Amino acid sequence: MWEWWRKYRPFVLGCVLLLSALLWYSVSLRQQEQTGFLESVVLRATGPVQGGFERFIAGSADLWERYLYLIDTAQDNRHLLEENRTLKAELAHNDEIRLENRRLRLLLDFKEAQTFESLPARVIAEDASSWFRTVTIDKGMAQGVAEGMSVVVAEGVVGRVIRSSERYSRVLLITDASSAVASLLQKNRARGVCRGQGEQLVLDFVLRLEQVAVGDRVVTSGMGGVFPKGLVVGTVDSVERRGFGLFQEVTVTAAVDFSHLEEVLVLLRSPQ
Amino acid sequence: MSRAFFYFSFAGVAVVLQTALLPVVLPAPYKPDMILILVVYLGLHEEPWRGGLLAYLLGCCYDGVAGGFPGLNGFLLLGIFLAVRGIVTRVNTESSPLLLLLVAAGTLLQTIQAAFALDFFSHVDGVWTLLFRQLPLQLLLNFLTAFVLLQLIVRIQKIFMPRRDLPGLRKLDSHYES
Repeated sequence: MWEWWRKYRPFVLGCVLLLSALLWYSVSLRQQEQTGFLESVVLRATGPVQGGFERFIAGSADLWERYLYLIDTAQDNRHLLEENRTLKAELAHNDEIRLENRRLRLLLDFKEAQTFESLPARVIAEDASSWFRTVTIDKGMAQGVAEGMSVVVAEGVVGRVIRSSERYSRVLLITDASSAVASLLQKNRARGVCRGQGEQLVLDFVLRLEQVAVGDRVVTSGMGGVFPKGLVVGTVDSVERRGFGLFQEVTVTAAVDFSHLEEVLVLLRSPQ
Repeated sequence: MSRAFFYFSFAGVAVVLQTALLPVVLPAPYKPDMILILVVYLGLHEEPWRGGLLAYLLGCCYDGVAGGFPGLNGFLLLGIFLAVRGIVTRVNTESSPLLLLLVAAGTLLQTIQAAFALDFFSHVDGVWTLLFRQLPLQLLLNFLTAFVLLQLIVRIQKIFMPRRDLPGLRKLDSHYES
């Protein structure tokens, strides 16, 4: 027995250590919604440096665009892009209001539109790993940001706050594999859950009897308690109905271009 | 103490590069995992207990900037450290290509560990497909970064600290010496 222990001691101790780490990870999942002490320290320590880098890169890019590369064209383009974003957001908002009004008239009921106080924030860093889709923003608890708050841009939903330190927060994007957004198809109100798949989204649990077409807009249903109702998630990219099963397979392209995310809005009041 | 400070300083620079600088020049979402390279290096040159503790601590700190699962990176990096320690007595640790090979193997092991932990403990759907789809490019990036870092650090050491013994590097890269 002693011989066996001496021979296999490193292996056994290694396994015990690894299992302990796995156990701790499993236990920590219960506190996943809260920011831990070490995470908060890391966020505080890296935030200012990341912010400095972001400002330096943005300044360099700005210098290039303003003084070295087609000054007027760049300015016009920026102006038009901004206008286009605003109009797109208005259009999406109007569509949602029109459909909502129709339903409400039919039901002879009405519902007060929800308005949320929002806080603008700058994206200063991305996730350190290639697997996860999170970004760091330059607003934290000092500005009223807390875990669970929704983050949006004019085009649609960005994600939700998962970690918050005094001045910096981390946002889980809707394209992350661990993200799920309660959604519905704007046209026929078919419900589903939008899950992140890296670059794209998958709309799960849409009954195969529902009529879904490519190009249909997907909006938040407000059911999950995280995102307010009616925010644009994306548009249907492909629909597949297999010969069996209760549901159809729907892939969705996110409305937000996450590779060019610079400014976002944090909705300061949770829908709950 | 000074070695631990060196490792954490390297990790700090790596995190800033990975989160703020490299995403501007590399196609999203790919970025090299320099913490993985550091842990492979730790596995080759540190004592089991000290190195294991450092690897786990680095992982716990890494959770603050990578993903949303506390403890996940600690588990992943400890696993890689122990795997490297498991073979370190059977291989020639003075070989530079070994570090590159171990970084590639570490990337594969990290992917399998992460997919296992996320699927079985966090119930993240489709995580195996997602992680393995990214694996080839991630492997290439980590391999190239390890190669560049090795070249760079040895040259910096030769220029600025010719007599200073950076932990392991002189031994590891003795063939770079002229």
